[in-house]
Amino acid sequence: MHSLRDAEADLRTALLHVEPRTRYVEVMAERSRGLRVRLDKNATVPEATPHLAGAVFRAWDGNRWVETATTGLEGASLEKAALALRERLPSTLGERAPPGDAASHKADRSTRVGRPPSELPVDARVDYARTLHQWGLATPGIENVFVAVEDREDERFFLSSAGANIHQRITRVRGSVAPLALENGKVEYDFLVVGAAGGLEVLDELTQTNVTESARTALALLQAKSPPTGQMPVILDSGTTGTFAHESFGHGTEADQLLRDRSYLKPILGEVVGPESLTIVDDGAYPRGWGEIFFDDEGHPAQKTVLVDKGRFVEVLHDRESAAAMGRRPTGNTRRADFLSRPFVRMTNTYVEPRDFSLEELVQEAKDGVLLERATSGIEDPMGGNMQLKVKRGRRIVRGELGELLPSMALSGRVLDFLKAIKGVGRREYFTSDSGYCGKGHTDILPTGTGGSYLLSEAVVGPA
Amino acid sequence: MSSAEAGPPVASVVAEELRGRVEPPWEVFGERAQHFEIHLNGPSVEMVRGPIALTGYGIRLFRPREKVMGVGFSAGSDTAPASIGRLVAGAEANARYSSFPSSGVNLPSGNGGAHPGAELIDRRLWADPTTALSDAVESLLHLLEGRPGIAPSFGSLRASLVHTSIANSTGLARSYEHTVVDSEVAVKAFGGPEGAAPGEYWVNRRDRQLPTEAFRGEVDGWCDRAERMRRADSPPNGAFPVVLPPPVLVDVLPAILGFRLSGAARLRKVAPAVGSRIGVDSLTISDDGQLPFGSGSAPFDDEGARTSRHPLIRAGVVAHLLYDALHSAAFDSPHTASAWRAPAFFSSWFHFPFAPQPACSNLVVEPGTGGSDAELIEGIDDGLWVDQLGYAFPDPLSGAFGGEIRAGYRIRNGKLAEPVRGGTVGGPLVAGEGEPSFLSSIGAIGSHPTLVADLVCPPIRFNGVSVAGA
Repeated sequence: MHSLRDAEADLRTALLHVEPRTRYVEVMAERSRGLRVRLDKNATVPEATPHLAGAVFRAWDGNRWVETATTGLEGASLEKAALALRERLPSTLGERAPPGDAASHKADRSTRVGRPPSELPVDARVDYARTLHQWGLATPGIENVFVAVEDREDERFFLSSAGANIHQRITRVRGSVAPLALENGKVEYDFLVVGAAGGLEVLDELTQTNVTESARTALALLQAKSPPTGQMPVILDSGTTGTFAHESFGHGTEADQLLRDRSYLKPILGEVVGPESLTIVDDGAYPRGWGEIFFDDEGHPAQKTVLVDKGRFVEVLHDRESAAAMGRRPTGNTRRADFLSRPFVRMTNTYVEPRDFSLEELVQEAKDGVLLERATSGIEDPMGGNMQLKVKRGRRIVRGELGELLPSMALSGRVLDFLKAIKGVGRREYFTSDSGYCGKGHTDILPTGTGGSYLLSEAVVGPA
Repeated sequence: MSSAEAGPPVASVVAEELRGRVEPPWEVFGERAQHFEIHLNGPSVEMVRGPIALTGYGIRLFRPREKVMGVGFSAGSDTAPASIGRLVAGAEANARYSSFPSSGVNLPSGNGGAHPGAELIDRRLWADPTTALSDAVESLLHLLEGRPGIAPSFGSLRASLVHTSIANSTGLARSYEHTVVDSEVAVKAFGGPEGAAPGEYWVNRRDRQLPTEAFRGEVDGWCDRAERMRRADSPPNGAFPVVLPPPVLVDVLPAILGFRLSGAARLRKVAPAVGSRIGVDSLTISDDGQLPFGSGSAPFDDEGARTSRHPLIRAGVVAHLLYDALHSAAFDSPHTASAWRAPAFFSSWFHFPFAPQPACSNLVVEPGTGGSDAELIEGIDDGLWVDQLGYAFPDPLSGAFGGEIRAGYRIRNGKLAEPVRGGTVGGPLVAGEGEPSFLSSIGAIGSHPTLVADLVCPPIRFNGVSVAGA
């Protein structure tokens, strides 16, 4: 099968089994392909992306959504899944229409790729990974370097009884290097990650200079002392700012949580939440954003949604159901992790727009606190409005100057307090767009992009 | 899903295509599953999913070259001969460029069905998943009814009925059935008193059975915690004795110890040596692949080797490491049936897309002399009981973990006192010799263990834990 469009006839036949029993039915077919090479001193592991292909059907039963799904795109599998869905639907249509607007767009879109991943087949990719590995090992004292280079193309084809016909291919490339240092049983490492929608040109940011600096940091972390603990001024580096925008704020703007009365942001929609220098955006069409999509998984086009506009919380992210309930339009944020997963309101590329300050100015303003670097993770608390972020390293700030290196830390506090305490946002020259994976809770993992510049505020810091 | 409906084991179907055509050694791991979900929006059912029918398999080829092993892995869902052929070709290509430091691989051999005693199936769920799941949801919602100021806000019950099969070029052909249930329930407390924000208690658990009875016993506690968190203060800042119960430890111990006490960690020189001290004298931990209803239990590991129980830590000293077929060959160490397939950072209800790595199955922490929960905290003048972290974010490589306190209690004068929330707790679970770590700072281990997913453990009191509060 050259393209998922080759399955269109079978998909339409399957939909026909369901249409008489519902006011709306849709199907999304999906398959992924790609190659990852992992390499360290002990093992070289090339792996193709699993050849997993299948489809999910969704229909309105008069009161709620019902879904079935299947691996395989041959007619028999699709028919079986469609018939199983039909069995779940009442024999009469029912009066209640599905909520919100059904999309009816027709489109065929693909990621713009500079250098196609196919230009780096497995042997060349192993050689490239070895080069990154050698750059890291060249620093005396580095015990090992973990390298991963991967590309993945996610192809989706969406058809609906409302006339939608959308085919899209998203290509993502990611590379990571993690130098490892050991001393008397203590293990430390640093890491670099680059990732974006696009082709091999994404990997150009993995330079020997960057890898060497990371290796030196891994060694230095062996000597790093425990971080300070407690409430203090904090500067987030660009990656941590982006992670904050996504985890701590963005999840609260997913409107399905507002409908569940499970968002701490719901009561303050329309109010000022931070300084005039703060603008937070979600943008599925952000150029080369890791969370790039052209259309969401209900068939609505991806778009830029300003969530916080110069300090005022002005908008949330909608699927068709929440948009209808709140009198808004869908924002192109309905996403499934894959055809085996249900759709939720999800972010795409979420970032804090850069502003005015240099890092030096922010450090001077902070006086005494910490600079947090290399965000590793975060988790949402949409109900409680608290934040939890984790970074791999940082720097102490003492009397307005950057000081000693610090090991991994966790950041917590109340998001609204953190926003109100923002004293400055860094300039565009520091802005980075980063790659990550997000869950809705602990499941349904999909790629999301984040971004930002430096940001100064206050929070609770502790070891992690 | 009966065995008859399931059809022949997926691994056997694929193995039939490989036998005689593909040079040994090779291995196939297959899964055929049906998956069902019910999603809640408050007290209403928002979405019903299923059956979600999944068939998939992973092929591994082993190609020795001089002193290394080339390992090629491919996974897919189409069992048509042409598709299998394409996957084999891809695996062969990858094997040419792969290398692992071993000249051999200790693939298990033999046949047979499940071990007796490894309880892995919810029979009612297996027989009628739609009704069983629906009944479980109804029971849960009924338990939450009629409680003023309390309501479910978000949640799902997800059930998988899985037929796992493994076959390899030695003639091994094994299969077994099992059920997996993932429950996620957020309980909200709202309403008066004036000014108190809503509180939430967020339950996430994995079981082999629908946890209907467990919910009955626990739901009062969830509601109580959700309500108490409305009045929670920030924790103190400093070093304190901290008690971590099994629901917190389950996100830490298996992830970190499962890697650090494995052949994979030994290969990278980050495993502690067998015979070295890793924790206090009262700490004894085993890996047990046969634990009844343990979420990590299976009659065979994901390479087809029969599982059993192995001591990992005995009186604080490392007793054993965990090995799969490749790592046991690399170190000429006995295979411990510890090959497991899973994504790196999140759990999944299917495993065939992942190549196996050595990891733990279920960890069993021997009960200590700390007594009941009340007795465990009796001697604490000022400390914390952490009921729940946002997420512990275990880092298997560095051995550290840390997260925000989502729900906890101050301990004052030997008793639980005011609720706390926010702030962070964490640090290294394991560290180099002489360096402080959680395992070397254990003050007492409780006497009453409970099973939570893949961990059997009592609450544990740790001394001198760094807590970051406001």
